[in-house]
Formats: sequence, C-alpha cells, structure tokens
Amino acid sequence: MALRELSSLEKFLGLKKPNKYSTQGDRKVPVLQSNSAPSLVGLGTIATHLAQEAKRPDLLGASAEERAVIQQWLEYRVARLDGCAKEDIKTILKDLNAYLEDKVYLAGNHISLADPLMYYGLHHIITDLAVQEKEKYLNVTRWFDHMQHYPGVRHHLPPVVVLRNRVYTSGHH
Amino acid sequence: MTKEELKGAGEEGEDQAQSKKALKKAQKEAEKAAKKAEKQAKLAAEQQSTEEDDFAKDRYGVSPMVQSQQKLDRVLVRVQELTPEKADQLIWVRARVHTSRAKGKQCFLVLRQQQFNVQALVAVGDRASKQMVKFAANISKESIVDVEAMVRKVDQKIESCSQQEVELHIERIFVISQAEPRLPLQLEDAVRPEGEGDEEGRATVNQDTKLDNRVIDLRTTTSQAIFRLQSGVCQLFRDTLTNKGFVEIQTPKIISAASEGGANVFTVSYFKTSAYLAQSPQLYKQMCICADFDKVFCVGPVFRAEDSNTHRHLTEFVGLDIEMAFNYHYHEVIDSITDTMVQIFKGLRDRFQTEIQTVNKQYPSEPFKFLEPTLRLEYTEGVAMLRAAGVEMGDEEDLSTPNEKLLGRLVKEKYDTDFYVLDKYPLAVRPFYTMPDPSDLKYSNSYDMFMRGEEILSGAQRIHDAQLLTERATHHNIDLEKIKAYIDSFRYGAPPHAGGGIGLERVTMLYLGLHNVRQTSMFPRDPKRLTP
Repeated sequence: MALRELSSLEKFLGLKKPNKYSTQGDRKVPVLQSNSAPSLVGLGTIATHLAQEAKRPDLLGASAEERAVIQQWLEYRVARLDGCAKEDIKTILKDLNAYLEDKVYLAGNHISLADPLMYYGLHHIITDLAVQEKEKYLNVTRWFDHMQHYPGVRHHLPPVVVLRNRVYTSGHH
Repeated sequence: MTKEELKGAGEEGEDQAQSKKALKKAQKEAEKAAKKAEKQAKLAAEQQSTEEDDFAKDRYGVSPMVQSQQKLDRVLVRVQELTPEKADQLIWVRARVHTSRAKGKQCFLVLRQQQFNVQALVAVGDRASKQMVKFAANISKESIVDVEAMVRKVDQKIESCSQQEVELHIERIFVISQAEPRLPLQLEDAVRPEGEGDEEGRATVNQDTKLDNRVIDLRTTTSQAIFRLQSGVCQLFRDTLTNKGFVEIQTPKIISAASEGGANVFTVSYFKTSAYLAQSPQLYKQMCICADFDKVFCVGPVFRAEDSNTHRHLTEFVGLDIEMAFNYHYHEVIDSITDTMVQIFKGLRDRFQTEIQTVNKQYPSEPFKFLEPTLRLEYTEGVAMLRAAGVEMGDEEDLSTPNEKLLGRLVKEKYDTDFYVLDKYPLAVRPFYTMPDPSDLKYSNSYDMFMRGEEILSGAQRIHDAQLLTERATHHNIDLEKIKAYIDSFRYGAPPHAGGGIGLERVTMLYLGLHNVRQTSMFPRDPKRLTP
C-alpha cells in the first residue's frame, strides 16, 4: 500500500524517474535505498525527501511554523492514522472536522505535502462512511473532495462519491 | 471497711441512686403527659374553632360516590368553551385537578379536560373559608372535581393554559373521584420534550414507564392529540374510499393457512386442531373481487409473529387494506390509492392543525409535504439515484432499510416531497402472487409507497389466472394443498385486480414525524409486551 502511494506521490511531484522501494519489518515500513546516501526509512521521511528531490520546497512549508505543521501532519498520518482501531475513527474524524472548519488546506493557504498524504491515509475510512456520516463531518468531506479532485493527487485510488447538496437537514437524526 | 460493708454501702447507694433515677423518670413522664395534654387541648380548641368558623362548610368536600342516586338538572360547561364570552357567568365544570398550589390565603388550581386546561382560584373571602382553601390545596392530582365558579376575564394572558384569557373564581368545589396521592408518573414530566429534560435537569418519562401506565400516559395533551389524529386518519380513509364507490368488508382473522408465509404467523388452538391468526386480509380481499364486489377495503387487526424489536414493528397492528378490479392497467389502482392518501393528508392538514401543533410541542418535526399528482419513480431510477450517491447494489436486489431511508432523503432533496411511489420492483423479491412484468421477466407489476423514507404500503397487480398462480407458487416452493381454496377462487372467471395495505399506526407516526410506532399504538403489542 505504502509503495503504491509513494509511486502516486512521485507522479504528483512530477518526478520522471520512479524510485525503487523495499519494505522492512511486519508493519511494512517503506525503505528507499540509495547508493550514495544512507537509506531512508519511513513514509514521512521518504515523502519529504521526494519533495526536495522534485525541487518543490513550497510543499514543505514557507515559514518555520508551516514547516512544523506539515511535519506534524506527516507524523500524525503514520503514528495515529495508520493502523488505527475502529473506536478511534470517530475521534479522528471529529478532531479533523473541528480543525478544518476554517481551513482549506491542512497547512497554510496552499497545498502542501500533508494534504495528499493525509488524503491517501483517510481514503479507506471515507469510503466506508454513509451519506449521513459524510454530512456530519462536513469539513472533512469538503477537504477530502477538494483533494481527490486536485490535479495530480488521486492516481491509484477510486473516487469517493460526495453529494453536491445536503440531504440530511440539521434537524434530522 | 470490709467487702461486705462496702457492698452494703454500695447497695444503699444503689437504692438511693435508684430512687433518684425513679424520681427523674417519674418527672420526665409527668412532663410528657403534661405536654400531651396541652397539645390535645390545643387541638380540641382549634378544631372547635375551625368548626365554629367554617362558614363555607357546605361549599366543599368529598362527594359520596356517584351511584346514580339522583338526576341533577345541571349543565356542565366544557373547559374548551371557557372564553371571554362567558365572562361574569356562574357555571359548573367537571375536570381533573392538574395542579394545585396554595399561597397564603389563596389556592391556585389548574383544571384539565383532555387537551384543554384553565386556571382556577379559591381565595379566602365571603364565599370561601380558610378551611376550604386548605381543602382545595390538598386535593390530590388527577382527582376529578365538580366546580362551580364565576368566569372572570384576566388582564394578562395565562401562557401556561390553553384557555389563556379567563380564570375561574371558585365558589363551590366537590371531589367526585379521588386519585391516590402517589401517581406512577407525573403528567408534566410525560409531556416534557426530551432535550428540555436533559438541559434543565428535569425529569422526562421513559417509554416503558409510559407504556406500563398507559391509562395515565394517555391523559397527556400529546397523547390525546395523537389518537384524535389517528381517529381522523381512519375516518378519512373510510370516507374517501366510500365516496369512490368502495365497499367496506370484514375478513376472518382465524384462518387455516398462513397467508404470507409460515415463518411469522401466530398459531392458536382451534378445538381439536390448530389455526392461525391472519397476517393480512390479502386472500380474502381477492376472493371478494372474484365475488364481484369490484372495489373493497377493510379495516382490521393484522398479526405478525415477527421477533423484530425495532421502532416500527408491532406484533399486532391495524391494517387499512384496499383491493380493486381495474380495466386495463394496474396504474389505475395506483392512482386511486395515491389519491386516497393525498385526501387523507389534506384532511389531516386542514382539520387537525390543533392536534398537529400539540404534538409538535413535545416532538418537533417538519410539516409533511406531498405532491399532486403523487410522485412515482421506477425502481431502476431509485437504484440509479442510490448508485449516484455512492451506494453499491445489484439490479434485482431489494432495498435495505438504510437504503430506503437514504433514497427517501435523496427524493426529498430532489423533488421536495415526503410521499412517493416506487414502481416495478424486481420479481425475485416479491410474494408468489405478484403479477410479473409483461415485457421484462426480471421485474414485476408491484410497488411500494414511502412516507418520510419509510415504507408504508406494499402492493401489486395480483395474478388472477389459476394456472400462472400455480406455476409461481410451485416456483416459490409453496405447498399447493395449503392454498387450494385460494387458487380455486380464480378458476371461475376473475377480473384483473391490484391493491395494497397500510398500517394505521405507522402512517400516523410518519405523518407526525414521530420516531416510534408505540407512541401511535394505544396499547402496543411487541415481542416483549403483552399488557396492558
């Protein structure tokens, strides 16, 4: 899974030459081997490296604060989101929904590395949500729909249907 | 001193002590007796004084039980009619004591009669004595009282009562039927909206308690409104169909073979054998059509032994069933049924607004919307709408309850209606007597109708040809012996016909936007409830 994701990420970044990855351990942590440099382990680390390789520093943050926020989301993706238990999903969606209430992107006012990585990580969760739940976590759904339509992001994942109009009015339960 | 001497001295001391103790004891008892005597004297004095001062003795009290001892020529005014027009009239009212609150020399009562209530007051004055006010304040809640009072206009509207512009000044009050002081539930708790209960920390009554004490729960304004509206549904159903030339029939409920399938049927012992309680009047409705009654309807109980503990299933409910012979196309029947439903909705909207508003006070909901003519979608369209919303389902798959509800929301959003028909269901998911679609064997001439996204009617064109019926029954692995009488009724000329049935409780529940069918069933029956 992580490998397909990294290949999509490469396409998003516009990298012409795909890298070769391997995995290590039971959790299949991705590894990028390099002749000249020590190998890179971990999704977040590799993604950051790829962004630098593709000469897209804008995706890593313009200010120190932005850079930190983006790294935080990469951490969140690997540590909290991947392999989370069913009971945690509600909390994750609730927190994310509150966070995204006044934001278009996860960090700053433009797309960053955090957005596609969180999109890949959340896809399987959003796919399983019912229409009513998608409306409940309205901000997450809005951001998710934005990401899946953003040029170059989606690649290997099927699109999730998001209705244009609200079907459950506020008084419904 | 020797031990004995000591002892002796001790004993003496003890004696002395004892007599001291005894003295003290005697003293205490004397005090007690004195106090008691004082109290009794005081009470006696009070009682004497009360009896002496009670000039209003004849104007209040507990009446002897009404055993039809006399015919009183007295007019009792309905609380509903207590309006400013009756101001300054002396009238009699019989109502329940909803609340009573003493405040110094006055006692405020709220008298309730079904959905209406009015404020009343007993004040110490030339008509009422102190004892009378005390008596009024102590009348237990829910007791039935006869009250003679002067109707007075009030300057400020009484917001908490239905009769807001008048107040009763009581001159005589008698208890006709006393209620036990400890009620199993408080009526004001039973009508409190749930949110309000949680917010202000005030009690609400949970459904099981309400159902266990149904007699008291039915007295609340909300329950009174719900069942008056339900009575209206039944009446509008009968009136509309009678005006369309339908004949009301009564079908047997003790039958020899399960009509809808053997799984969910109640068995009763029938002399030396057993019989079943009818799951629907289906077979008999059709036999009436074959007997040339052309257009029939029936209102009666339906028994389903389904172990479903959901918000919308009962084991016994009232079925309103329709069956109609048609000329060339079963849509003639769909049109007739939808027109009947629309007439019911209009009748409720126009004549039962008070009831709808009363229910909404406790259970707020959106008003029921419908289109004229009724919206009719084909099953395939419904499936397409669901797929467009991300639902994956097969062409011939039945709609699950969540999908039905989602489809209801999608239809509401697109067409702005709470009532619609879904036509041409897949044949595979319908009963054996459903007529297949002539042009596509995957589908059938059957339809469901929905209110607020929940199914209220399942209907179809029925197979009226004995041979085809036998084929379809065999295909469904049904024992032909068991339905021989049914198949036989189509052998001697049967008109093409179609119909459907609705559940009275479910329709009332969905029209009002309520969420549990037990609220609209007077004494509901479900797998866990057999009483009251």
